[in-house]
Amino acid sequence: MARLILFELKKMLTRRVALVANLGVAVFLVGIMTLNVVQARTTDASGKIVSGTDAIAQTRLEAGAHAGAITSERAAADIAAYQERLFSRIDREAVLEMTGSAVYDLMFQSFSDEEVYELYNPYWSMLLRPWRVSGEEPAQTAARVTPDMAADWYGAVAGLTQDALDDGQAGMWEYSHAERAYWTDKQAGVAEPIEYGYVGGWENIISCAAFLVFAILAVCVTLAPTFSFEYQSGADAVVLATRRGRSALVAAKVVAALAYATAYFALCAAVIVGFSLAFYGADGFGLSVQSIELSSPYPLTAGQAALISVGLMYVACLGFACLTLAVSSRARSTLAVFLTDVVLVLLTGLVPSGGIGVLERALALFPLNFANFSMLFSALDSYPLGPVVLDLIGMVAVAYVLLSLVSMPVAALSFRRHQVV
Amino acid sequence: MELTLDRLTREFGPKIAVDRVSATLAPGVYGLLGANGAGKTTLMRMVCGVLRPTSGEVRYDGAPVERMGDAYRALLGYLPQDFGYYPEFTALDFMEYMAALKGIGGRDARDRSLALLDRVGLAGEERRRVRTFSGGMRQRLGIAQAVLNDPEVLVLDEPTAGLDPKERVRFRNLIAGFAQDKIVLLSTHIVSDVEYIADEILMMRAGSVVLSGAPAELVAEARGRVWEATVPAARAEELEARLCASNMRYLDGDRALVRYVSDEPQVVGSVPAEPTLEDLYLYVFRDAGPAARPCERRGAHLKEERHG
Repeated sequence: MARLILFELKKMLTRRVALVANLGVAVFLVGIMTLNVVQARTTDASGKIVSGTDAIAQTRLEAGAHAGAITSERAAADIAAYQERLFSRIDREAVLEMTGSAVYDLMFQSFSDEEVYELYNPYWSMLLRPWRVSGEEPAQTAARVTPDMAADWYGAVAGLTQDALDDGQAGMWEYSHAERAYWTDKQAGVAEPIEYGYVGGWENIISCAAFLVFAILAVCVTLAPTFSFEYQSGADAVVLATRRGRSALVAAKVVAALAYATAYFALCAAVIVGFSLAFYGADGFGLSVQSIELSSPYPLTAGQAALISVGLMYVACLGFACLTLAVSSRARSTLAVFLTDVVLVLLTGLVPSGGIGVLERALALFPLNFANFSMLFSALDSYPLGPVVLDLIGMVAVAYVLLSLVSMPVAALSFRRHQVV
Repeated sequence: MELTLDRLTREFGPKIAVDRVSATLAPGVYGLLGANGAGKTTLMRMVCGVLRPTSGEVRYDGAPVERMGDAYRALLGYLPQDFGYYPEFTALDFMEYMAALKGIGGRDARDRSLALLDRVGLAGEERRRVRTFSGGMRQRLGIAQAVLNDPEVLVLDEPTAGLDPKERVRFRNLIAGFAQDKIVLLSTHIVSDVEYIADEILMMRAGSVVLSGAPAELVAEARGRVWEATVPAARAEELEARLCASNMRYLDGDRALVRYVSDEPQVVGSVPAEPTLEDLYLYVFRDAGPAARPCERRGAHLKEERHG
């Protein structure tokens, strides 16, 4: 069996198309991650644009300045201090009447560049997030927050989830009672106090996880001929007439395919995770995922969220690997197998949902759509399946595990029963 | 050791490719002769278990091979007509891969593979990629893989297709060497391939075995039906088109010698000739459809044409 697996791996990986695809995607990922570091940009306290590792260091410094547990008391005290600094120089009532851009200009007229830089630290935006209205400047939000409101900061954070449930994804989805209870319970599980700080490395992994679709495509290219090439080349007649051709060979093909898919995915994931942690830093694994987005109802750390993102892409990779094997076992044309994969992996990322909730949820199951922070951790995409409610993370996992479990026997049986005509 | 084909039938939609073929094969070489589309390949695929019959069954020593499954395939060696290979594999890779598929382990697999490659004249080519091999080398590799497990039943479908005459002779000798104490079923549409090595010949036409027996017995069937006539060269082409001519040779003096098969002499001055298996083949297929009418194709081999 081990020898058969090795030969199957050799068959897979010595094909020129597979070599080009695997090498090409690996090089592409290294390139894109290099650009991801080189093109990181931010401004420093003097307003100068910094890029690359300097920008990353600057961002780390900004977040580090306010790192720590955000207790209810600290939130209220920090908001009060922020308001005091702001409204010692600008009129609290006046900013409420002004446009966002006018307030932005006013900030620079009233404060030095260094002071504005500090007042626009993402920490303040996060603190004021529960009351922020779209398009508003932090000063305008701060002007509306009363001490009583600030004192119930965690209540306001929980309110973000309720607001999102009421909003129903801008009217696209009406949450059932079960779904509302599901999200409310999940949000209630978020540990208090939230641990705030720099999570750049883990956040970058989540942002870049979508690039792993190229790894999935390379896997599909490599696996597409697994069975179809046997039919196409006429080798099926030779191998199926051998003692192990209808038994061990099928198992060897499936094991080799999954082993290769796992190894190649691990390599590509290592590029993304490696670059992110090496350049953005591995610190902040245990900090709350709310450091990235306060409205997220997930009781997770940033590191866990990053691992979930990559893990889901791996599950999707295995699902598509198995699907490719199944299609390959029933098609003589390798191109047809690959085109099926391209449509499902890439083109589903281009299909608009048109504001139709069911379609949006169906499309969300495809890698290009779910592989981002917003969809996975804050969009509140849920799937009511009878009495059970699954979130997008659970649904993606279930969908691809099911796809694998269905596709694998299809591939095995199709090849075992294949008739050479 | 006995292989029984019991009313083997295979239909493809409305077309019957193999029609109730029955035969009992004991150790020996069986030549399956038939024109393109006669059903030889379909029959062989069913014998090898890679194509399920519509009805009927194949039995090995009385046991249905479908039920024997892996146990039957362990006794089988098969070289299909369009022998598929893996372009990036070397000859040794391919042999070792086939050895693994046939359940031959590690060291033994390598030793047997090298010995067989040597035997089929591919010694020194073990590390060459199969895609760089000539047609003849691939066929030799094919026969080597087919006998790797020392099979009791060896099925060779058109093993000489695409080979030049010298390679065909070499191949025949190879097969004869491997055939000891085995049931060898060899299909071809080239009569001379089986004439010398087959113990028994089965002639297939339109999915059925229409004639079977030892080559000498079969040739005797054509006795009194093969004629030769010397005619003016100008008539030669007209006669060739009209008769089932097995040979046409132009002689000096604007004359031609026409050899043809027919129940009665068709040309004045015809004299009986000693029949060959090829004459019998032409006789059997004399009124077959265009694709299966070798006598109307001036002896051209359709599959040779197809293979260039």
